[in-house]
Amino acid sequence: MMERLARRLRPARPGAAALAVAGTPEDTLEAFDVTVHFEGLAAVDGVSISMRNGEVFGLIGPNGAGKTTLVNVLTGFQRPTRGRVVLGGEDVTGLSAHELGRRGLARTFQAVRLFRDMPVIENLEAAAVGTGLGRREAARRASRILAWMRFAHRADDWADTLPYGEERRVGIGRALAMAPRFVLLDEPAAGLSDAECDELMGLIAEIPHVFGCGVLLIEHNMRVIMGACHRIHVIESGRTVAEGSPEEIQVNPDVLRAYLGTRSGDARG
Amino acid sequence: MAGPDTEGGPAGLVWRLPVVGLRAFWTPIVLSLGVLVIVLAVWASGDTVLALAVTAALIRAVMVIGLYIFIGNSGVLAFGHATFMMVGAYGVAWLTLRPFNKSFALQLPEFLAAHQYPLLPSAIAAALLAAIVAFVVGIPIMRLSGIAAAIATLAVLGMFKTFYSNWSEWTLGAATMPGIPIYVDMWIALAWVVVALFVAYIYQRSKYGLALRASREDEFAARAAGINIPRQRLIAFVLSAFFMGIGGVLEAHYLGTIAVKNFWLTITFILLAMLIVGGQRSLSGAIVGVVVISTLIEILNSLEAGMNVGVAVLSVPIGAQELTIAGLMIIILVFRPDGIMGGREVPWPFGKAGRIVRDPGAVESEHDPLRRGLAQRDSAP
Repeated sequence: MMERLARRLRPARPGAAALAVAGTPEDTLEAFDVTVHFEGLAAVDGVSISMRNGEVFGLIGPNGAGKTTLVNVLTGFQRPTRGRVVLGGEDVTGLSAHELGRRGLARTFQAVRLFRDMPVIENLEAAAVGTGLGRREAARRASRILAWMRFAHRADDWADTLPYGEERRVGIGRALAMAPRFVLLDEPAAGLSDAECDELMGLIAEIPHVFGCGVLLIEHNMRVIMGACHRIHVIESGRTVAEGSPEEIQVNPDVLRAYLGTRSGDARG
Repeated sequence: MAGPDTEGGPAGLVWRLPVVGLRAFWTPIVLSLGVLVIVLAVWASGDTVLALAVTAALIRAVMVIGLYIFIGNSGVLAFGHATFMMVGAYGVAWLTLRPFNKSFALQLPEFLAAHQYPLLPSAIAAALLAAIVAFVVGIPIMRLSGIAAAIATLAVLGMFKTFYSNWSEWTLGAATMPGIPIYVDMWIALAWVVVALFVAYIYQRSKYGLALRASREDEFAARAAGINIPRQRLIAFVLSAFFMGIGGVLEAHYLGTIAVKNFWLTITFILLAMLIVGGQRSLSGAIVGVVVISTLIEILNSLEAGMNVGVAVLSVPIGAQELTIAGLMIIILVFRPDGIMGGREVPWPFGKAGRIVRDPGAVESEHDPLRRGLAQRDSAP
């Protein structure tokens, strides 16, 4: 009965609703010579990256290498001391975080930062609304993404009741609810069990074609990085060490030295 | 450049049933009915003194709902909302005083001095004036957060109090302005409570309310989600000021007199106490707080006057009222910081929330990115 009622209230509109696809195949996100100084200390020093729509781009490096700072620059939370950020050919350096969000840059946080006193579905809806969607379309997009993540059964649960691993999943769903052109995932696998990591890896690998966007992935878990990324960029102490395919990166001596320190061995970790 | 709204292609798999009908407005309906029951009971009892007290409480309910629209949704404390009550009350006095009364002491421009305007349009115009004031002062203040924003709103109240106290030609300065038509009874106050309840609820469910509540929960995540926090706060601030203005208007037409000193810290404190005791993060909390504190005030009022209980006359010293309210607020803050309602609305009693169903508008297709994604995933080893 309710189903019929709903159908009457919202007549079928084929074509109006696929999963959020915002990017075009030519879309790029680039950083040129980005440098960030904190009181004289260079957290990021002359890093340039270029990523395309449709790829999963890994950003790795030891703790304190400047990965999160670089993501903060890309998403408008940190103004670079020098350098430019270019989104789809447009110079977006210095735009504020919400303006970049509206232009299609989404991110997650290491600390997850869910909207805790709101239901799971509203976490996603708020992000959809934040990028300019109406209430109903936002609800639609949010439920589709939850269904895709196999998380629809928790849609109405309060976000602060979720276990840690599920919190992270909702964080990713929230970023995707913005129908981003590029989504930046900051250590999504931190603290997850192996089984959860595998599931997450599956999700991340699907993101580019389900959402038509590019993915930047910061991660310490080598299984996730090597399993999900097309290209990997390695930084250490704010500087670029190497960039290449997972196969190249795994055998690159500079990377092994920088990333694994004196410990020799297998980068599969 | 592709924007985030260019969703195209064949539709996907599932969506959630929209909440419709009675259920969509369950919270304001239940709250309105609850208040209506109280009003009907008092009306049936024929107690005219109690009816006056209930009218006063209903006017405060309008103010607390106004306060809630901003504080509840933004999570930013505001101490300056009495400003907008004052602007509304004086605004409506300029419009609805008889020209004869105005000619005594006020030096108003011709269009105000020579006319007496109809009551309802005047009420709305005065509340709009309060909203405009909120818009202007809100532009800088809404960029602030936390305690800085709270102090800034208090500073606005201080400025406007000084301004209105010295603007003799329009406000009679610190003196009381008498002669405002008295027409607000229980029913008119009730009507405005219902209007405020529905507007506040529609706002909080709207995309604007949703965005603002997200910013209340986490400012960084909200900004990353594309939410312009100062703008969302400003929208709530202006809407909030409109209902504070209506509160001031009702007060003016209830008492028949207004004075600048009545829009100062005492009323600010009582309204905040109502909101905090009930629970500042839900509309239900705002109403529960008004009912609890108003009842308490009424009991203490009669005790302060000396209540005759059979053989003895019970009485408490003057000032017990403020002390009791403050004490209750401290107890709530210590033991139940989210207030009596704990930040939740009155729950819908008939079953769980919206089900996920097959999308009625969906056209299944090989090209559907969602289906493609799921298929790949399911075939993966």
